[in-house]
Parts: sequence; C-alpha cells; structure tokens
Amino acid sequence: MEVLLYSLRKVIAGIPLVLGVTLISFLLIVYFGPDKTYELVGKNPTAEQIAEVRSQLGYDQPFVTRYVRYLQEIVTLDFGNSESTDEKVSSILARTIPVSLLLAMPGFILGNGLGVALALVAAYFRGGFIDKLIMGSAAVGMSVSFLIAIIAFQILLSSSDGLNLFPVRGWDTSTPLAYIQHVTVPTLATVFVALGYNTRFYRAVIVEEMTRDHVRTARAFGVPPARIFYRNILKNSMVPIVTRVVFSIPLIIISGSLLLESYFGIPGIGKVTYDAIVTGDQPVLKAVVALTAILFVVAQLLTDICYRLVDPRVSLR
Amino acid sequence: MTQPLLEVANLTVEFATDAGVIRAVDDVSFTVTAGETLALVGESGCGKTVTGLALMGLVPSPPGRVVSGSVRLQGKELTRLDEQALRDIRGSRMAMIFQEPMTALNPVFRIGSQMTDVIRRHQGLTRRQARQAAVEMLAKVGIPVPEKRIDEYPHQLSGGMRQRVMIAMALSCGPQLLIADEPTTALDVTTQAQVLELMTELQREFGMAMILITHDLGVVAQTCSQAIVMYSGRMVEQAPVQELFARARHPYTAGLLASIPRIRERQLQQLPVIEGMVPDPLHLPEGCRFAERCAKAKDYCLLAQPELKPIGKTASQVACYAPN
Repeated sequence: MEVLLYSLRKVIAGIPLVLGVTLISFLLIVYFGPDKTYELVGKNPTAEQIAEVRSQLGYDQPFVTRYVRYLQEIVTLDFGNSESTDEKVSSILARTIPVSLLLAMPGFILGNGLGVALALVAAYFRGGFIDKLIMGSAAVGMSVSFLIAIIAFQILLSSSDGLNLFPVRGWDTSTPLAYIQHVTVPTLATVFVALGYNTRFYRAVIVEEMTRDHVRTARAFGVPPARIFYRNILKNSMVPIVTRVVFSIPLIIISGSLLLESYFGIPGIGKVTYDAIVTGDQPVLKAVVALTAILFVVAQLLTDICYRLVDPRVSLR
Repeated sequence: MTQPLLEVANLTVEFATDAGVIRAVDDVSFTVTAGETLALVGESGCGKTVTGLALMGLVPSPPGRVVSGSVRLQGKELTRLDEQALRDIRGSRMAMIFQEPMTALNPVFRIGSQMTDVIRRHQGLTRRQARQAAVEMLAKVGIPVPEKRIDEYPHQLSGGMRQRVMIAMALSCGPQLLIADEPTTALDVTTQAQVLELMTELQREFGMAMILITHDLGVVAQTCSQAIVMYSGRMVEQAPVQELFARARHPYTAGLLASIPRIRERQLQQLPVIEGMVPDPLHLPEGCRFAERCAKAKDYCLLAQPELKPIGKTASQVACYAPN
C-alpha cells in the first residue's frame, strides 16, 4: 500500500518532466523542424495549393492546438504513420524494440555482472598485483573506441581472415541457436567496451564501503571475510549499483545501440531512430522522444522503490 | 603469582606511507590482570588506537604491520596465530568497541540480526536461543523494551543507544577482555556518564578486564585502576591511577593534568597548555620525543631516548631523565 501510494505520487510528479521534455522536443523537431510543404506540392504551386497542403499537414493550426494534439498522441500511443514508409509508428516500435532489447540485454547483464565481480576481486586485493592488473586492463578497455572493438571482433570472429565462427551481419531469433549465433559478437564488443567503465565505477563504490566503520566492527567480532563482503560491503553498495543499472535501462530500450545495429545490420529501434532523424520523419521522432521521457520517469520510480528494498534508511515519502 | 590475562611485550607497529615508514607504536609493553581496568591515555595520533587494534590483530594491512613484539592472551601468543584462529578469539574471548557509535553498526541490517550473527558464530546457539540471549543482553545494557528494539535498524536509535547496543554485542559472548576505544567521546556529557557507569558495572558483573583507550583524564579517574600515558608512539609513564593523579612523574603527564578544565581556587586568564607540537612521525628526534616541548629539558635529553624505568620500589614506571 505504501509502495502503491508512493508510486502514484511519483508518477504524478513525473508528469511535469514528461511535459517539459515533450514541449522542448516538440519545439525543436516539429514546430521549428523541417517543413514538408514544398516536398508535397507540385511544380509552380499557387498560393491556394500551398495553403491547402499546409492545412492538410496541420501547419496552419495554432501552436497550442498542435502541441495538445501531440500530447493526445502520446496518451493514446497513436502517432500516425511513418512519413517515409507509411507503416504505423506503433507497429514499427512493436517490431523493433524487442529486437533492440534482445540485442542489448546479454551485453548489459554480462557487462554489469562481470563488472561487479571484477570490482569485488580488485577491491579485495586493493593495492596488490591483481588489483593493478584488473584496473590496468579496465583502462585499456576504456581507451578502445566502440567502433574499433566492433570491427576488431567482426574480423577476429566473423571473417575468413579470423575464426569465421559467426555470421557477420543480420538478425535471426527463430531458434535459440540462431539467436546465440547472431548475438554473440555484438555482445562481446559491448562487454569489452562497457566492462572497463563498470569495473572502475563499482570498484570505487566497493572500496568506499570497505573502509566503513561497521566493516571494522564486523572484523573485530570475528565475522569471516566472505560474510563481511556480502553483508557489510555488497549490501551497502547496492544503492549506487541499482542507480547505475536501472538508469541504463531506458537507454537500451529506446536508443538501442545505433553503432551495433548499423554495423551488424540489425533492424532495431536505434536504426529506426537514426533513419528518422536523417529523413526528418516526424511521427517516428515524436514517438521516440515521448517514450524516452516516460521511460526515464519510470526508471526513477523503479530506483526509488529499489532503494527502499536495499536500504532501510530510505523512506518512501 | 597468577598468570596475567594479557601480556604485551615490546609491541612495535609500523605503517608504510608514500613519504616513508611511520612507527605508530614503538616498543610498548604492559600487562593486564583479570578483572583490572587499564587506561591508555594520550592525545590524537599517539598510537593508542593502533595499540588496541594490534592486540586484536586488526591493524589494517597493508599499509600497517606488526613489526615485532608479542601479545599473549592467557599465555597464548596471538601475533603468530592465523586469521581463522584469530577470528575465533575476536568477539568471544576479547572484544573491541569503537568511538563512533553512529557508524559502527551496519545500517542495512537489524540490530538483532547483527547481534545474533555474532552470538551464533561464537556460541553455536540456535537462532531462537541466540535471539533470546540478545534480548537479555540488550536489557542488561539498559535498553528499554529490548524485545521490540531488537527488530529496529541502527538509524532508529540514538547515539547513546547505539553505543549500548555495541556494548551488548561485545559482552554477548562473555569476553575476558574488552578493549574500548574512546567509547564515550562521540556522546554528549550526560550520556557519557551513563555509558561509563554501565561499563564499569557490567565489567564487575562479568569479571572481565578492560582496556580503556581515551584522551579524557576525567574518564580515567572515574573508571580505571592503572594508567599508561603514551606520547608519539611510546609509553612515557605507567602508574596506578591514584598515584598518577597525586604525583605525575613525567612532565608530559603533568602538563596533561594541568590542562584539564576544572574549578580552581582562583580564576585563570587562560587554561595552561603544553606549548609546541607533537614531533613529525617521519622525522622523530634522536632524544626524548617530548624534549622539544618540555620546560625542564636538558642537553642530554636531546641525545638519547630515556628508557621506561621503575621509580624506586613503587609500581610506577616513567621514561624521563628527570622525573618529578
């Protein structure tokens, strides 16, 4: 009940955020965005023809009316049809979001899971050889551009110059085996690039928790290291870890990974967004922007509820 | 003569820093008999906390290291024990409580969970028995409605209450020695008095020895029988508390006693202070470490360190060429 009421309050508090984001994006990409009139009218149009096209596109309506219509579209999730493919925007999203999710999830889970694990090891051997080895490798991983990582993994694993184990492009999730074949190389590239950042971040968090007074107390009472790591260190590190993890979720769902999707020829939401920006496909852009704002509000709500689960000092008020 | 509970001999602890090696505890030796209260007195950074940690085998390593010396608990050498064996002793035969009650408990677990964890580990009780024992201990340290408080989180308790919980936790396995590192420093004055009183009471009841680490000489006078004064990592004086207060032999001890605020016969313009600064631990002088600040220092004080020597036939020891 407490959680329910809290969620309700948070959702209401999130409304101004959604309004603000949509207003700004509406101004930038719709109101001051590309004018389609002259693409649609014929050669040497008369003033009446121009006016007619403008009224079809709704350009003659006042600003407020047009913005309110956008808000209506958000509420009903009906953004009309794409201007370039004439496909319904909602069906584009329904088709591409799952693809992006399936593409990004393994890398996301592995990147964070391995990051926490390596950070624990590095923090445990803090200052020693193993710590330096892990942190040095993390710095190397961070320094390699995502693009280079993608191309390197493609050459090493998917080309006849390398091991040639996986298809270099395309997407197929019809069978689990096909999915694994197509997702492995993108996942490796993602993990390779994200792991350095994650490890460094999580190590900093864990080292901070290791130096807390209550860790010393636990040691003074003979609690063994494994238990201290779980009860005193990991449990207390959960707030920053949860924050980082949950706030990356909207980015995966909506922006997907443009580089991954274009380099592996995968029809995900990142690719769709990119194409929409290039061609000025307003219905698609409006949908993506609105969804991103909403997802961030949801993510914030989720993190707040998770805080309550991991830290009793947080009250849901 | 009976064997003392704790024998510390020539304990030396060093810390490796970027600037060089710092000797935080230098050649400290003392004994604690069962049931006795020993005070370890000195200003911040004199090595008293590190001494306490070294007794528990808790010197953070790296950078710290017990270089030499021996710590014997009932004749058993602790410095050569492995971690596993030390863990069995920590919390059960010797316990330590710390200065900061606000941060010394794990914020994400209930009091009961933290207490029963320790009790079950050392005494092999069932969950229910351990909980019962924890409730009884909480009642003993004066926590009202312990069966309810046990299910609260540390942040729901006040500082004094938290320190009581720490004491309850420390006593829950009936240790023979309790090391209390400035247990009342972070508390307000009325709570301080209550907690001190509680500690002495429980100490008598449980018949355990206590090492009280403090910079507060008022606390020493109230609670302790023996006192060791430390300065810059070394012991400068050891004496029964009454003698120490009656006649401080070392000039540093005398200076400390003079600088206690109290009601005096005539009003002072300013509280007496010990002039000067503690020597830089990276560049310790060859002679007496207090010489630079000592009003009575002679040339020979700067040449070699005075050894800790008994004074006549008394139980006191002092490290000074010209004790009072």
